[in-house]
Amino acid sequence: MSGFLEVALLLSAPLLLAAAGELVLERSGSLQIGLEGTMLAGAFTAFAAARAGTGPYAALAASAAVGAGAGLLFALFAVARRADPILVGTVWNLLALGATGFAYRLLAGETGSVLQVRTLPADLLGLPWPVLASFLVPPVLHLLLTRTRPGLRIVAAGEHPEAVRAQGLSVVAIRTGASTLAGVLGALGGGLLVLTISPTFVEGVTAGRGFLALAIVVFARWKPLRLVPASLLLGGVTALQYRLQALGFQAVPYAFFLALPGLLALAALAVSGRGGGAPKALGTPAP
Amino acid sequence: MRPLQAAAVAAGTLAAAALLVALAGASPLAAARALLDGALASPAALGETFARSTALVLTALGAVVAFRSGVLNIGLEGQLLAGAAAAAAVGPAVGNLPFIGRLAVLLAAALAGAAWVLPAAWLAERRKVPAVLSTILLNLVAAAGVTWLVRGPLRDPAGDYPQSRPLADALVLPPLVPGTRATAAVVVAFALAALAAVVLGRTALGLKLRAAGLSPRAARAAGLDDVGLRTGAFLASGALAGLAGGLEVLAITARLYDPFSAGIGFTGIAAALLGGMAPAGSAVAALLFAALGAGSSALQRDAGVPSALASVVPALAVLGLLLARGRREAP
Repeated sequence: MSGFLEVALLLSAPLLLAAAGELVLERSGSLQIGLEGTMLAGAFTAFAAARAGTGPYAALAASAAVGAGAGLLFALFAVARRADPILVGTVWNLLALGATGFAYRLLAGETGSVLQVRTLPADLLGLPWPVLASFLVPPVLHLLLTRTRPGLRIVAAGEHPEAVRAQGLSVVAIRTGASTLAGVLGALGGGLLVLTISPTFVEGVTAGRGFLALAIVVFARWKPLRLVPASLLLGGVTALQYRLQALGFQAVPYAFFLALPGLLALAALAVSGRGGGAPKALGTPAP
Repeated sequence: MRPLQAAAVAAGTLAAAALLVALAGASPLAAARALLDGALASPAALGETFARSTALVLTALGAVVAFRSGVLNIGLEGQLLAGAAAAAAVGPAVGNLPFIGRLAVLLAAALAGAAWVLPAAWLAERRKVPAVLSTILLNLVAAAGVTWLVRGPLRDPAGDYPQSRPLADALVLPPLVPGTRATAAVVVAFALAALAAVVLGRTALGLKLRAAGLSPRAARAAGLDDVGLRTGAFLASGALAGLAGGLEVLAITARLYDPFSAGIGFTGIAAALLGGMAPAGSAVAALLFAALGAGSSALQRDAGVPSALASVVPALAVLGLLLARGRREAP
């Protein structure tokens, strides 16, 4: 697990999963800018489950379950009650940061010692298989959104929600389903982070990855297959930082590499702009 | 919001807080007592509440000014960090002339906060990139910038920890009441809240800003420069957050360290939402959250209840409000 490529893949997979979930939600017409909070909840759940003695796979499953709950809860606020999703998402991050910090303190006590958890075994090409499986999510989503009835309904809810409504379908139900899937994938991303490359929990362990995933969705112009190169780029840049740190590189301040993913995402947005590809009804309340 | 709804939200928030306290193994009633003691019961406690309110009031005002003008500035945290960094950079350089020095520090902080908005304002108006996204990313860059500054150019060679050189003692604001941590910074924050209330509510400029916020197209059709209004509000909002960071350095920390802020900018947005996006209401909500922060610190010390309670409870209160209010937009 020491090679640059392995680390890059390990760091790209959580971004990819979170961005894939967000993409489905945004294609359905809603958006969750509290993705960072959902990832954080998934990361903490995996950590807490693993500390409680479950195996790493069960810990990952626990993340997914909490993610489903988080997705449903978000949909209750921003879809069913039609509160402004941006406001809900902003407060969501605050809640997740506070709640995981609170729960971590209860779990770890006041010692502040670092508690490690057992990571997923590297069983496929030197990587845990869920990491590699993450890269199958975009093609599956591509097929889902272009070839299947539920997928086409999700897209229709994001483009012409009134037409969906006129067909007698519930836009609220469609977006709630999309939000649940987004919650599962976002929390899995957070869980994967803890169960592979950073096997402990510190407050804010996701370190802005949820925000980067939001930018990845825009940069990918809401197309699932384009998520892969964008995630690999940002994951690779982060891996470079790990690599240089491990080599004891002092010439380039490592904070520059902390800033680099954010700067790259900004630059990518500056180049691509909001451009085409955004769902027409993105962020509008369900009819 | 109807009074009954407000009461239900308040009761729900209190119940959730009591549950969290019980989960932490403390008695909710005893905890409420300790929390109130830590926030209000002595001059020192009250001073702590007011000291903590400064940055919250200013970031909440930043949110009000931006959101009311139609700019979703979620990056107040990053703008606060930019202001704090500028204050920590300028502070040790201006020596110990109290008046000029403080003025220079605060001016640098406000300018840095506004400057941190510039890329987002440009991206929003020229490249149609939503401010929500760009300001969030700028938060990440600002946090990395602080990490770099306190280990690199601003590092105090005398200290063991990565932190900046301190401001001269003569520069750091003295307490208004001896034995407390409340300084003139608190007065500045609440005076600016009053000013914001007057400007937004009683002046032609405020009316234009609100018009641009309610409907940019209608504002443009009425001959208003909606781009200019939005950009101005965006910059002012950043300046307020930058000032919050500058005053934090000038009044409390005297230097920059890493991490410098545990989400003040986000709690400020929560205060603005709870305050109905009005300057006065937001200042009151910020004061309430500051009391919660001061009380929670005492609670962690005395009863072992994690002080993260101070970010959970505001978030729950605002979520309750959004749930109760549903679709209705802020005024």
